[in-house]
Amino acid sequence: MFNGIYAVLYRELSIYRKRAIKQILSSSLSPLLFLIAFGWGFGSGVTVGGLPYISFLIPGLITMNSLNQSFAISAEINISRFYFHTFDEYLIAPVSHAGIVVGEALFGVFRGLLAAVIIFIYALIFKVTLFFNPIFLIAIVLHTFIFSLLAVTTSMIVKDHSGQALVNNFVITPMIFLCGTFYPIDKLPYAFKLLVYVFPLTYSTKVIRAALTGGEVNILYVGLMAFYCIMFFLTSLWALRSVEA
Amino acid sequence: MNDNNVLTVAGLRKKYKDKAAVNGVSFAFSTGEFVGLLGPNGAGKTTTIKMLTGLIRPSAGTIHYYGSDFRQQSQTSKALIGVVPQQNNLDRDLTAYENLYLHAILYGIPNGVRTQRIDELLDFSGLADYRNRQVKQFSGGTMRRLVILRALLHEPKILFLDEPTVGLDPQIRRVIWDFIVKINRVKNTTILLTTHYIEEAERLCKRVLVINDGSIITDGDPETLKDGIGRFVLEIHKDDSIEEEFFDTRDEALAALHNSTYTCKVRGVTLEDVFLRLTGRRINV
Ligand SMILES: Nc1ncnc2c1ncn2[C@@H]1O[C@H](COP(=O)(O)OP(=O)(O)OP(=O)(O)O)[C@@H](O)[C@H]1O
Ligand SMILES: [Mg+2]
Repeated sequence: MFNGIYAVLYRELSIYRKRAIKQILSSSLSPLLFLIAFGWGFGSGVTVGGLPYISFLIPGLITMNSLNQSFAISAEINISRFYFHTFDEYLIAPVSHAGIVVGEALFGVFRGLLAAVIIFIYALIFKVTLFFNPIFLIAIVLHTFIFSLLAVTTSMIVKDHSGQALVNNFVITPMIFLCGTFYPIDKLPYAFKLLVYVFPLTYSTKVIRAALTGGEVNILYVGLMAFYCIMFFLTSLWALRSVEA
Repeated sequence: MNDNNVLTVAGLRKKYKDKAAVNGVSFAFSTGEFVGLLGPNGAGKTTTIKMLTGLIRPSAGTIHYYGSDFRQQSQTSKALIGVVPQQNNLDRDLTAYENLYLHAILYGIPNGVRTQRIDELLDFSGLADYRNRQVKQFSGGTMRRLVILRALLHEPKILFLDEPTVGLDPQIRRVIWDFIVKINRVKNTTILLTTHYIEEAERLCKRVLVINDGSIITDGDPETLKDGIGRFVLEIHKDDSIEEEFFDTRDEALAALHNSTYTCKVRGVTLEDVFLRLTGRRINV
């Protein structure tokens, strides 16, 4: 198991090192645009649940940006499976599937955490006070694990690039717009609320926002996040097994 | 089950939807054998190798390495296998060294000897100058040599080479031949090689399997196979085609030549003649 994890991380980080600047820059831009548009342009003077809108928005941007970065490994695994066949090197090597899955997921977590750091820097620049605490750390790690493992599952199931785009458009984007990253979900119509409570992003956003803004964290939600983590770990293993069929 | 065999395969099959890509093949390799797997495009060579190396699951049949079931002991067995896939699968964004280092980790080569082993192999194969260059800048020949090198890094007991020399110039091909022959002789590594260059198989392989439409139709050493169709060929150069007739002796062939009104040529039988006879069609090179 350890060889697999180490090998995958060695590969991913060796490549990441060469692209780090480009990737950090590209994951910095869109949250900044959201901050300017919604934080300053639209949200100044608005309060949500007793918070200035920008304080409400920042935790949402943290979950959004880290989700995007963690999930982005999916497209890359895809390329390595279908275009360069480098993924085959893992499959023929004497390493366990669990090692490959955990290695890829840890890389996704790493990217997700970096993306969260970027938003923290913005919070400093925009002078937004955040409460940094252990619950937040646990939550952000669980959050990035969930979406990294979802990414691994997806990349093993889809058959090509267009399948990948389909998942991005029909799962990831709706999740980001519906799960309370930009506004409180209680304003959604009842039917949507039901849908939204299926998406794991809803829980991670609630937990992370509560932790960072000094609100009360619902421990049940943290438990649900752990549940999603385990579930997507199992689906990853299952999907990886099905690749050999 | 003979445990002295490196590899024993029985009734191996792979079915895709309505078609069997590999339709029940059986064979066994003993230590140090150099075997060629020949067959036309789409015969099932790559599919066979993918099953033997754990990349795809067989629909039926069994695979044993040193007597232990590949499915149950897959990690132990995989450590004994080296693979050169038909398509180069190097990481183009990594350097030669980084590609090899990744492989070293995957195969559990201890930390202390990884770099040393890599540099020895790079020197041995004349690729030392490429050590720190990104693979995407390499020529096809250099990439292919690196893929072969990588497959040898963990000193496998059995090496699968799927068209190792396709698209390479004659000089590089000879470099690669020398290299794999040396591996076979010095390390006694068992080798299974597929190729469409039949003369390559004739030169290198002590034993040849011919696969056609998913089934093995011949298994033997090249000389015996050639004896089977006759030692000499009379080529009759007709206006729109070349016809071939086979004879056991040169004299018989020459006698037939004298009776012909076309331009003719007598030559020794090659493995390619055997191959074309057996598979009943010309193959793409
Ligand atoms: N994933 C797949 N799905 C469906 N059919 C497949 C698949 N992979 C291979 N085949 C079919 O199985 C047959 C054997 O293919 P294979 O790649 O093993 O041939 P090959 O002997 O290696 O040919 P070549 O000399 O061209 O490399 C072919 O008819 C091919 O179309
Ligand atoms: Mg092939």
